[in-house]
Amino acid sequence: MDKKYVPRITSFLCKWCSYTGADLAGTSRLQYPTAIIPIKVMCSSRVDPVFILRAFLKGSDGVLLGGCHPGDCHYETGNYHTRRRFAIVKTVFESLGLEAERIRLSWISASEGPKFARVANEFTETIIAMGENPVKKKIFL
Amino acid sequence: MKAKVGVYVCECGPNIASKVDLDRILETLPALDEYREIELVVKKYGLLCSADGKNYLEEEIKSNGFTHLVLGACSPRDHNKTFIGVCKKTDLNPYLYKIINIREHCAWIIPDKEKATEKAISYLRGGINRVLYQSSLFEKQLDIDPDVVVIGGGIAGIETALSLAGEKRNIYLIEKSGKIGGKSSRFSSLLPRQGKGLALIEEKIEKVSANPFIKVFLESSLESIIGFLGNFEIVVKSKNGNTDIKAGAIVVASGYGLIDPLSSESHSYSESDDVYTSLEIEEMLKEHGKIMTKSGKEPASVALVHCVGREEKGYCSRICCNYMIKIARYLKDQSDAIKVTEFHKGLCMPDKGDQSFHKAMAERGVEFRRIQKITQDGTKISFTGMDGSPGNADFDMVILAPAIVPSEDTDSLAELLEIPVSETGFFQEMHQTTDPVATSIDGIFVVGAAHSPKGITDSIFFAQAAAGRILTHLIPGEKIVPEVKVTEVLEAFCTGCQNCLDVCVYGAISYDESKGVSVVNEVVCRGCGNCFGSCPSGALRTKHFTNPQLYQEVREAIR
Repeated sequence: MDKKYVPRITSFLCKWCSYTGADLAGTSRLQYPTAIIPIKVMCSSRVDPVFILRAFLKGSDGVLLGGCHPGDCHYETGNYHTRRRFAIVKTVFESLGLEAERIRLSWISASEGPKFARVANEFTETIIAMGENPVKKKIFL
Repeated sequence: MKAKVGVYVCECGPNIASKVDLDRILETLPALDEYREIELVVKKYGLLCSADGKNYLEEEIKSNGFTHLVLGACSPRDHNKTFIGVCKKTDLNPYLYKIINIREHCAWIIPDKEKATEKAISYLRGGINRVLYQSSLFEKQLDIDPDVVVIGGGIAGIETALSLAGEKRNIYLIEKSGKIGGKSSRFSSLLPRQGKGLALIEEKIEKVSANPFIKVFLESSLESIIGFLGNFEIVVKSKNGNTDIKAGAIVVASGYGLIDPLSSESHSYSESDDVYTSLEIEEMLKEHGKIMTKSGKEPASVALVHCVGREEKGYCSRICCNYMIKIARYLKDQSDAIKVTEFHKGLCMPDKGDQSFHKAMAERGVEFRRIQKITQDGTKISFTGMDGSPGNADFDMVILAPAIVPSEDTDSLAELLEIPVSETGFFQEMHQTTDPVATSIDGIFVVGAAHSPKGITDSIFFAQAAAGRILTHLIPGEKIVPEVKVTEVLEAFCTGCQNCLDVCVYGAISYDESKGVSVVNEVVCRGCGNCFGSCPSGALRTKHFTNPQLYQEVREAIR
C-alpha cells in the first residue's frame, strides 16, 4: 500500500452532539487525520440507509455516522431510529458482500472532543489497513 | 442567470491564517475547471465577525450582487447567526449562504500546513457545490393567541395561573374535582418553618377566585386538542356540556397520586388496625386537631415508616422525610410522652432548614432508625438494621409514607396531548437538566408533581419557570416565526405507508385520508429529518438538507 494513501471518510455528524464534539476536538487542538470530511446534518436519523450505501458505492473509503448518546437525542428518539437503521445497513452490506467494517456508528456527545478525535484516528487507521474502497474499481449499473 | 458565488475566507486573526495557506486557496479555487460555468469571487479578510468585517461583507455582497455566498471561517455554532444577520441586510437570501468551518475542522486539528490547506480547499469545494443547490427559504410570521390553558387546579396549576393572568392574557384552569387547591389544601399545615397552618395556600386559592382573568372549570376534563404553539384549539368537557377554547400554550399540572401500601408485599393491615397513610393523618389533624387511635385514645408509641414502595418504584419521593418529621413534631407537641420512632432507608433532606429541623426533632427525643428492610403487619413491625441485625417492635399506631406515583390521568392526558411519559410513569420533560419544564411539543409545559415527585416549594418553582417561558414566547400582539428548515411532502411520491407518522415525536405529520398521503404541519416540524430516514419512497424533503444538497458534500468527500 502506498504510504501517502489518504482515505476519504464521509462523516455525517449530527448538529447537536457529534458536530459540536468535533468542534471541541478542534478547539482543544486535538489532532486527527484529514481523512474525515464532516457533513453536518440536523439529526443522525436524517441519514437514511440509502445515503450510506450511496456514499459507499460512489467510492467513499469509509462512512462514519455520529449521533448523540442514546437517550440524549435533541429530537428525543432520533438516534434510536438511527441505531436500528444502521443495524440494517450493516446486514445489507454483509449480504451484498461489501465490507461492513467500512461503516461505523459512534455516539459522540458535544462534550466528547477527545472521543471524537479517538474515533477519527481509530477509524482512519482501520480504513488505511483495509486499503482503498474496492468498489471504486467496479462498475455498478 | 449565471450564478455568482462569493467565497470569503477569514483569517480569524492568526487562528486560520497561520495554519492554512489562504493565498493558495485564493489561487486554487477560481482556477478549477468545474467552476467555469459560474462566476467565482474569492477573497480573504482579517476578521469577518468584527464590526468592520460585517460592514465589509455587507458592502461586498451588495456591490458584487452575489447569488450565493460561502464563508470559510469558524464553526457555524459561533458565527452562523452573525452572518445570517449580514445576509438579511442585503438582497441575498440567508439560505443561499453557507459557512464552512475551516478553523475547528482544518486549522486546529492538522499541524501540517499543506495538509490543512488541502483539506480546507476540498471542504470549501463541497460548500460551493452545496450552496449552488440551496434554495431561498422565507420565514413566515404567525399570529398568536396569548391565552393559556392550565390542566389541574393543585398548587402548581394555581401558581401558574396566578403568574400568567393579566389584562392581555386569560387563563383557563381545568380541574377534575369540585374545588381547586389539590392535595396541599387537604394538609393540616405546611412545614413549620413555612408558616403556620395553610393560610398561604388558602390565600392563593382566594386570589384565583377573585382574578377576573382566570376562568375555572370545575368537574371538567380535557376532551380534545389540536394545534401548535400559539394556536391550540381545545375542547373542555364539563357537566353542563363542552366548551371550545383557543389558547397559545398548555400547562400540564395534573399532580400526583399515592401508591397503595397494600400493593407492597412488605405491608399488610386491615381497616381496624391503627395504620394510616400520611395524607390520612393530615386529614385527621385538619378535622380533629389531634392524632388519636381508632379507640379514641392517644397513642403511647408511634412508628413512622418512610419509603413505602420506594424499592418497587425505583425512585425517592423527595418530600416524605420532611413531612414525616413534621408529623413527629405534631405528636411531640401533642404530648412529649409519645414515643416516636422513624424507620427510614436514608433521609433525603436537601433544602436549607431541613437539617436543623431534623436535628431539633432528634433532640426532642424522636428516634431515627435507619434500616435495610422492613415488614409491617398491622401495628407490628420487624426490620433488619444497617448492620444486618434483626429487630421487631409493636406500636400503638403506624403511619406510612407511601411513594408518590403519577396521577391516574397521566396516561390518558399523555395520549391526548401526544407528549411522552418517562420510565417512572411521570411526564417526560424535554431535558432533565437543561429544559425541565418544556415537553417535546412546543407550547406544552409540565409543572409540579406531574413532572416528578415535588413538594409545594418545588411545584411553585416549576410553575413560575413555565410562566416565564410562556411570557417570553407568547407576547400579546407579537407574532411567532416558526422553523423554516422543515420537512415537506412530495405528494406525487408518497405511498401513504405512514411510516413517518410513527417516527415523528412532535406529532407534526398527519395522514390525509382523502388524498392518501402524509401531511406535514410546518409549524410543528422541527426539521430533524427522522421521517426522511424512514421514508421508503423518497417522498419527504427536509428543506436546506435535501438530498441533492448533501450529495454535493458527499461528492467532495469521495473525490
